[in-house]
Amino acid sequence: MIDFLQNTLDGLALGSSYALLALGFTLIFGVLRRANLAYGPAIMLGCYCATWAYLKTGIGLLFLALIAVAGSTLAGVYVERLCFAPHRKGAAAAAMVASFALWMQFEELATLALPRHLYAFPALYAGGPLSLGRLTLRVESLVMLVAAILVCAALWRILYRSRFGTAVRAVIDSPAAAELSGISVSAVSLQVFALASAIGGLAGFLIVSGNEQVTPMLGMWSTLKGMLAMMLGGLGSLPGAIAGGVALGLREAHSQWYLGPQLRDFIAYLLLFVLLAVRPPWMNTRSAY
Amino acid sequence: MLRVVDLVTAYGKIEALKGLSLEVREGSITCVLGPNGAGKTTLMLTIAGVLRPRQGAIEFRGEPIAALSPHAIVARGVALVPENRLVFAHMSVLENLHAGAYQRKDPYENDLEKILARFPRLKERASQDAGTLSGGEQQMLAVARALMSRPRLLLMDEPSLGLAPLVVEEIFRIIAELHRDGTSILLVEQNAHMALKVAQHFYLIEQGRVTFSGSPGSLAEDELIRRAYLGSARA
Ligand SMILES: Nc1ncnc2c1ncn2[C@@H]1O[C@H](COP(=O)(O)OP(=O)(O)OP(=O)(O)O)[C@@H](O)[C@H]1O
Ligand SMILES: [Mg+2]
Repeated sequence: MIDFLQNTLDGLALGSSYALLALGFTLIFGVLRRANLAYGPAIMLGCYCATWAYLKTGIGLLFLALIAVAGSTLAGVYVERLCFAPHRKGAAAAAMVASFALWMQFEELATLALPRHLYAFPALYAGGPLSLGRLTLRVESLVMLVAAILVCAALWRILYRSRFGTAVRAVIDSPAAAELSGISVSAVSLQVFALASAIGGLAGFLIVSGNEQVTPMLGMWSTLKGMLAMMLGGLGSLPGAIAGGVALGLREAHSQWYLGPQLRDFIAYLLLFVLLAVRPPWMNTRSAY
Repeated sequence: MLRVVDLVTAYGKIEALKGLSLEVREGSITCVLGPNGAGKTTLMLTIAGVLRPRQGAIEFRGEPIAALSPHAIVARGVALVPENRLVFAHMSVLENLHAGAYQRKDPYENDLEKILARFPRLKERASQDAGTLSGGEQQMLAVARALMSRPRLLLMDEPSLGLAPLVVEEIFRIIAELHRDGTSILLVEQNAHMALKVAQHFYLIEQGRVTFSGSPGSLAEDELIRRAYLGSARA
């Protein structure tokens, strides 16, 4: 029983990082109706900027966080202007292929700047885990959990209580009607890309500082986890993205415990395959913001 | 206030507008009649910036607007109530109206109150999702949303399409009110009987060209038009 609770706690913490990744991925998907494969690689590039700054200057964690977020945001904006803005009308496949090309570009850039396969990243917290009775919780996980809740709350406020949020939801609902209402779809999608990449950058920073290491694999990994969590929660729904992220985290923590780490990832891809093959009804909902 | 000169708009190889010219005077209601497929919707979408013309010019208050995107045209004071209504289905009625006022920098709470007073049915359903409204209510919402941008020129594409006679009456009452308040209107309408009551000028479009232009009186006198659009009875 205690194992089960511990696994659940670990899964929640892991899941909140997936939820953050999925929120960013889903925002972009909701506005553009397109999968942005370069989403994770942009996050990876932001984290590499932070790693590079750390290696050169040794500056503190807060600055590293800022650099990671700013770097991811800039990379995200670059992706939007290069891949998605020119293909706004139709040609979804072209945009996706273009985002794949930028993924390669970002990986090349990262390995050119920092050629080793793995770099150490300063730890978010140096002390030991907290104990809650017989359960333990890493401080990094707690920070991740709190960050995820804060980001969700802030995002909710932005989307439902601000002029910008009204515009974003209008574009998600109907880009044609949004334009006719005086909303610039191009400007909104650029801003959404920036916002989503910033959220992704924060998630990336928390993940690498929690793991105390960074590799170029972070890019593919982030896109995959974000996409999988989004699909689990229903395509394009933000509350669904959070639920999907948490569910993914819980599933991983439990299957790791019972089946071991190799099977853990195998099950993730199996799940992806089954989702794509079966397409459960909730995945067809156009938007549930 | 609006001048359309020699407009050509095409879908691929098919030209839907083949050199169409018309004009809307400040403060007037101008009505466009025409059979299905004549190019009326194409004309409205081209003026609103959704479709790019292949040739020709569109001038609004002396400025060319043909190369602008729709949101920029809204900012100049031209708002379209599209044929298929296009309300934001997953947003509440109130949010739809806020979206309509998106590019306004001034406080518009007063206008919102006024518009809700003009559309009492929308006021009752202010927090309801627009997708759950009836067809007539969605049409009202589309009009109200367009009005939130405080347009100088309102483009309306068949606002009475598919609506019950009572609702059509209501829509035309609102059109007359808007006109009285000084809004210029370009109206596409199949319901020529209703249009005759409000419009000051008519254009007949057939196969992408203007084939008749004149006052309500001259329209009612034209034998062919009378037969096609007003039934056999004398107007
Ligand atoms: N998206 C499109 N692609 C290709 N052809 C189109 C498209 N939209 C309209 N057309 C064609 O352009 C012509 C004009 O269409 P339009 O919708 O402007 O007519 P309309 O006068 O509004 O008709 P209605 O009274 O039925 O609304 C028609 O022949 C139509 O088939
Ligand atoms: Mg039409």
